[in-house]
Amino acid sequence: MFELRGIHAAYAGTKVLRGVDLVVPPSSVVGLLGPNGAGKTTLLRVASGLLKPTAGQLVVDGKDLTSASPHRLVDHGVCHVPEGRGIFPSLTVRDNLLLQSVKGKENEAAEKAVGAFPRLGERMSQLAGTLSGGEQQMLALARAYVQNPRFVLLDEVSMGLAPKLVDEIFEFLDLLAKTGTSLLLVEQYVTRALAVADYVYLLNRGEVVFAGEPCELDADALAEQYVGAGH
Amino acid sequence: MKDYIPYIIFGLTSGAIYGISAMGLVLTYKTAGVFNFAHGAVCAAAAYAFYDLRELQGLPWPVAAALAVLVFGALLGLILERMALVLANVSTAYKIVATVGLLVAIRSCIVLRYGAEALPFQPFLPQETAFRIEGVRVNYDNVIDLLLGIAAAVALFVFFRASRLGTAMRGVVDDAPLLDMTGQSPAAVRRSAWIIGSVFAAASGVLFASVQQQLDVNILTLLVVQAFGAAAVGLFRSLPLAFVGGLAVGLLQKLAGKEVASHAELQGIDTNMPFLVLLLVLLVARRQQLVEVGRHIKERAVPPSPFPAWVRTAGFAALTVFILLVPQIVGTKLAFWNVTATQVILFLSLGLLVRTSGQISLCHIGFAAIGAAGFGHMLQHDVPWGLAVLIGGAIVIPIGAIIALPAMRLPTLYLALATLGFNIMLAQYAFGKSYMFGFGRLDARRPDVWGMEDDKRYYYLLVTIAFLCLLLVLAVERSRLGRLLRAMSDSPTALTTSGMNVNVTRVMVFCISGFLAGISGALYASLFGSVNQDSFNYLDSLVVLAILAISGRRTITAALVAAFLYKGLPGYVDTIASALGDQDPVQVQTCLNILFGVLAIAAAALSQGQFQNWLSDRGTVWEERSSGPRELRYQTVVAARRAKRPRTETDRSDELVGAGSGGRHG
Repeated sequence: MFELRGIHAAYAGTKVLRGVDLVVPPSSVVGLLGPNGAGKTTLLRVASGLLKPTAGQLVVDGKDLTSASPHRLVDHGVCHVPEGRGIFPSLTVRDNLLLQSVKGKENEAAEKAVGAFPRLGERMSQLAGTLSGGEQQMLALARAYVQNPRFVLLDEVSMGLAPKLVDEIFEFLDLLAKTGTSLLLVEQYVTRALAVADYVYLLNRGEVVFAGEPCELDADALAEQYVGAGH
Repeated sequence: MKDYIPYIIFGLTSGAIYGISAMGLVLTYKTAGVFNFAHGAVCAAAAYAFYDLRELQGLPWPVAAALAVLVFGALLGLILERMALVLANVSTAYKIVATVGLLVAIRSCIVLRYGAEALPFQPFLPQETAFRIEGVRVNYDNVIDLLLGIAAAVALFVFFRASRLGTAMRGVVDDAPLLDMTGQSPAAVRRSAWIIGSVFAAASGVLFASVQQQLDVNILTLLVVQAFGAAAVGLFRSLPLAFVGGLAVGLLQKLAGKEVASHAELQGIDTNMPFLVLLLVLLVARRQQLVEVGRHIKERAVPPSPFPAWVRTAGFAALTVFILLVPQIVGTKLAFWNVTATQVILFLSLGLLVRTSGQISLCHIGFAAIGAAGFGHMLQHDVPWGLAVLIGGAIVIPIGAIIALPAMRLPTLYLALATLGFNIMLAQYAFGKSYMFGFGRLDARRPDVWGMEDDKRYYYLLVTIAFLCLLLVLAVERSRLGRLLRAMSDSPTALTTSGMNVNVTRVMVFCISGFLAGISGALYASLFGSVNQDSFNYLDSLVVLAILAISGRRTITAALVAAFLYKGLPGYVDTIASALGDQDPVQVQTCLNILFGVLAIAAAALSQGQFQNWLSDRGTVWEERSSGPRELRYQTVVAARRAKRPRTETDRSDELVGAGSGGRHG
């Protein structure tokens, strides 16, 4: 169980999150939706320890990890694939996978990654920065598999990719979810996110404005939140 | 060929030491993004620690070496890591200021404990002949130095390529937060890099002192600039190339030393080999190859003055009265105030360059020296005094324009290195030549009218000139050029896209700044009757930058405060010393220098308004704690806005209850 309780967060005094509660139950896919500036990325930054909340708690399996640093959260099974490309561009693919690997299991990493994304196998000694956008994203996502995390936080992993690649990536996420890994998915393709998600949270202006199952969310209310009608 | 062999042997020996030092410098620069100008000070500190442990505490040398290099070096590395962490989010100029401050502080600490004089240093490696090449003896210590260097280079290369920590060190350069998310602490990775880097610096310091057979704080501190040249060969990135660069610089130095011995006009070229290599690389390397490590951080704009206009006016009026009354109140200390008046011009010039236009210069004392030399030579040709001062300033204009060339293509850090290299070359090569100061002294004098020999009268003349220079700088700042300079400091790209030629602006600011620095140098020279090549110490180019950083950020006050701290305060050191209970004035001055260094680091660390940000962040937390759950109050307001109708008391209580119980859906 991955829980955010009453999270408040601010950048240099500017409030971004105002008391957000969010729960990712074991073996589930949770979608996090909301318009630009709603605080989705900030919430993920808090969830992975990059940003310390001004109030609230981050609880993983009953343990309070609010003050833990990102690499400590990794030890507790949390994996955050950040917005943009989560790779080290001036390292080779092999070196990237070495850093992703679990300590002591360095050799397994490459095998597992290639098993999930065969294309990476052909690119092992290439610099990651010279890969295509899709390949870079595959390399970044490989971590969600290689590290064997229990909770994977994904920030707009389909951004800027060709639709075919997006399909491939969603297939991978599907597989990942089937192995029992929980996903917290921030997505711009709202319908795709709703299709895979077990629960949905809708965030607006730093607050949760809807939380429930995707079928409970009606399209008009969703559109209203995105385009800001009714304000 | 045989004649060259001893030079090659010595060249490779010292080259290996430069190489070790350079690898440490490059390693820390590329992993932490902070280019450590105090790297040489770390070398020096370790060498003195070794000396202390062996000579004063009587430990056997292997123990002393292990303690000085492995323990002391590692400790310094830890301290540097903390400092680099604090500096991660400040602009490059302030990173330079902070490490320069550290250099000043460490150097002063050494002087405080061991004195400024060179100490004899017994070499500890065996001096016996290992073998002969064509009859030339090669000693064991030469062989050991070279082998140590090669071993260190190979070990570091393999470590970086093959080990997980080495890979993480390359990863932390790319994206530190990502490394954190990937499961490795960037702080821990950087810490290891700083420890390795400092241990390398410490090793090179101890070995270098042994080769030199003496401990000289200045020579050791400047080991960093030999490392600059070596590191430049590897474009400040490559570790193996930095080592090769070290060997190349060492070889070139010794071989050139042999050649120039017979040519008087080339004398001094050999010691300048590191800077020639550095300047060459900075001038010929492609611009894309010389990018700064780490994120580019824009300096925070100067916040508006917290004082209302009338307070400022009153303040400046009081200050003016004080300045005019100085000769009446300071008595015998007036000589120091005269020097201070000349330095106000220097700091105006430096402030215009560093503050207003966002450039950097580590050669301002060099500019002043050129102005002084030009002034002196003009006086010898019977040019009237006032004209001689102006010509002294004018001579620096073309030099400033030349320095603007690297500024056009180099980012801040490399510009700093280029200007420092220029200043040191000037000092070590040109100062001793007859067209500057020569080996004797160059006469300079005050104007021979109006009884200027009287310090009081001359003070008013100097203050008048300083005031005119201040008006010039203020006029520049308020003119179109001033707007261009501030815009250039903000974003050269934006300025270019709006159709301005940034390079013309850069050349102009360097010319104006050079002119003012030249005038300041000429007036400084005029105070003493004569100047020689020791009057303008290039280390002071670093010191003035650190002092400017701690003197506030406003044009007028910064120039006045900095000038006083630099040349006025030393006049009162004996007063402070006796106030502290008969301390040694020299020691007090050294302590003041340590304080300057530490304050410069603090000024850099807080330069982006960190303190204010911290306050406002804490403010958010405190507010949350004291006024209860924030979302209650917030949702009340939002709900009221949504309702779009006048609120009544009942509404409000309903909403409060609603928000309280249904805050979390699902």
